[in-house]
Amino acid sequence: MTEKKQTVGRREFLKLALGGGAAVASLKIAKNASASKPVGSSPHKWAMVIDQGKCIGCEYCTNACRAHNDIAPDISWNRVIVSSEVNGEKIYVARPCMQCEHAPCVDVCPVKASYYRSDGIVMMDYDRCIGCRYCEVACPYNARAFNWEKYTGDNPMVPEWGEPEVERRPRGVVEKCSFCYQRVDRGLALGLTPGLDPEATPACVGACPVGGRVFGDLNDPESQVSQILKTRVTHRLREDLGTGPRVYYICPENSDSLEA
Amino acid sequence: MKIKNLTRKLTKFHYWLAGLTAVMVAGVIGGLIVFAKGLVVTNLTDLVPWGLWITIDLSSIALSAGAFTLCAAVYLIGLREYQPVARTATFIGIIGYSMAMLCLLMDIGRPERFWHAFVFWNVHSVLWEVTMCVGLYFAVLTLETLPIIGHSEWFVGRWPRIAGWLSKVHHYAPYLAIAGLFLSMLHQSSLGATYGVLKARPLWYTPSLSVLFMASAIIGGISLTILASMIAARVSDKANVDDALLEKLAHFIGWALVVYLYFRFWYTFSMTYTYEPGRTEGLRLLTKGPLAFNFWFGEMLFGAVIPMIILLKKEWRARAWLRMTALALVIGGLVAYRWDVNLSGQLIVLTYLQDEINAFYTSYSPAFIEIVVGAGVIAFGVLAFTLGVQYMKVVDHASTEHAVEVHVEPV
Repeated sequence: MTEKKQTVGRREFLKLALGGGAAVASLKIAKNASASKPVGSSPHKWAMVIDQGKCIGCEYCTNACRAHNDIAPDISWNRVIVSSEVNGEKIYVARPCMQCEHAPCVDVCPVKASYYRSDGIVMMDYDRCIGCRYCEVACPYNARAFNWEKYTGDNPMVPEWGEPEVERRPRGVVEKCSFCYQRVDRGLALGLTPGLDPEATPACVGACPVGGRVFGDLNDPESQVSQILKTRVTHRLREDLGTGPRVYYICPENSDSLEA
Repeated sequence: MKIKNLTRKLTKFHYWLAGLTAVMVAGVIGGLIVFAKGLVVTNLTDLVPWGLWITIDLSSIALSAGAFTLCAAVYLIGLREYQPVARTATFIGIIGYSMAMLCLLMDIGRPERFWHAFVFWNVHSVLWEVTMCVGLYFAVLTLETLPIIGHSEWFVGRWPRIAGWLSKVHHYAPYLAIAGLFLSMLHQSSLGATYGVLKARPLWYTPSLSVLFMASAIIGGISLTILASMIAARVSDKANVDDALLEKLAHFIGWALVVYLYFRFWYTFSMTYTYEPGRTEGLRLLTKGPLAFNFWFGEMLFGAVIPMIILLKKEWRARAWLRMTALALVIGGLVAYRWDVNLSGQLIVLTYLQDEINAFYTSYSPAFIEIVVGAGVIAFGVLAFTLGVQYMKVVDHASTEHAVEVHVEPV
């Protein structure tokens, strides 16, 4: 065999290998792209509105969240942060998970442990998470927390702020706010309306003593969140990133509390 | 009496092995503590979840890049003379990827689920792609290493038949080189993209990271191959090198550093034109803050400029100790670069408020146990290479293996 023939053969092999590989990969990717559609088929699209003008920074929302979701003391799914001070009065921003429409955490997860439910909730599969923490690095809202150690011992928020409704997460996985999907799902099964019936609504909404949080269905034009978004000036956090958060905020200057 | 005899028989080689084993044992103990108690024993936090182990992981993979580069040079471009160097690089490669996987196993919260990425595909995730490529490339490296094992006297003497089979794998070297090139180019660059795709981290969010990771990996990988070969030839009678070959490669590294330095410099300082929250603060970290020494000296002066000059100047490059110093500096520069990239993005914490996006600084320094485990992983790598040199002659430029004819039938 001549050297030339050998080179040609190799080059052709290279072409074939690359072409074949690309074809197989594109088929698989096409198949997977359709599989990455939201899980389930829900007619709802859940969203939350938080009125910063009403928020007094009492952290009742955080406490209720800790009890109902059985969260370790060093982790918080719902932070209440002082964002600024106006005329000596503190302005707070309460930050649950934004339940982004285009969530960076879902994009980067190597194992699809973070995924979209068809009702818009960004869910965590704690049995699948490998604990690589890429989602933590990717989330613009610091909404995620890693279980650096096993959470043992009593939850100091129970029973004063409610009873745990979900399993404690094991050591070594990342966790975050789930819009209390367990309350929403159970409520719907019982024929309740999330947003109207407190049992079917995220715990933080019901715990707010000043009615600063509203929860509801964006697909229902009559829902309170749809009405607020239609008639009021709202904003979302880091809208410039294109993540499409489903948590909306009303600034103090546009707040209900001024009209009341 | 007996002890005296024993100590007399012990050579420097034995002490070397004992030292490495001791560090490795300490690393294993540290690893077991981490497995038992969880990652809470590290200094990692929710703000800085990736630290020393990820740096070692990234560096090991980058420094293994000599394998795919030199195999492509030998079997695809046809630079046959470098075959014995490619052989060393391949062996370093399989060690490097083992080290990387050990680090990842330590770093992920659920090590028993390491296989999930192979089963639950998220094709949108850069990290998924990296995991798949690393897994597949490790298989390629294993196949490429089989002939090395098959050729070692130690193995041939014991299992000649199996050795024969293993050696036959060498016939497929060109195909393996294609697979290796394909997989390596994918994941070496994607490791940069792992950071580069994150819009929430302005300092990282650029396409350049992929290019820089790729370029620095090729440079660092070949540098380690040359350096390890030169050291082996000086301390072991089982190793011998063709210095002219290594000198030529070192010359190439000199020019590659010119290109790399240009891109790294241009990329870093082209970012300063406008203020962008997070990005400007990140640059401050690098140029004036806690990473400044690493950046100016580790990466730039000692990591690129000085070795570049040494390797480009013929008289200096010709001096073995000077060349070795330069190559060691290049390797140090690569590790410093990986450390800086990984940390500079994480040490800036951006607020997410609507009106004002503020940047805050946080800090990280590895815990003692992270250092012990990391040292254990590195000791494992050095030990594996030492044994390879001693018993499998992985640094042997007089090897007859390249005499094996490679037949590729036209497809």
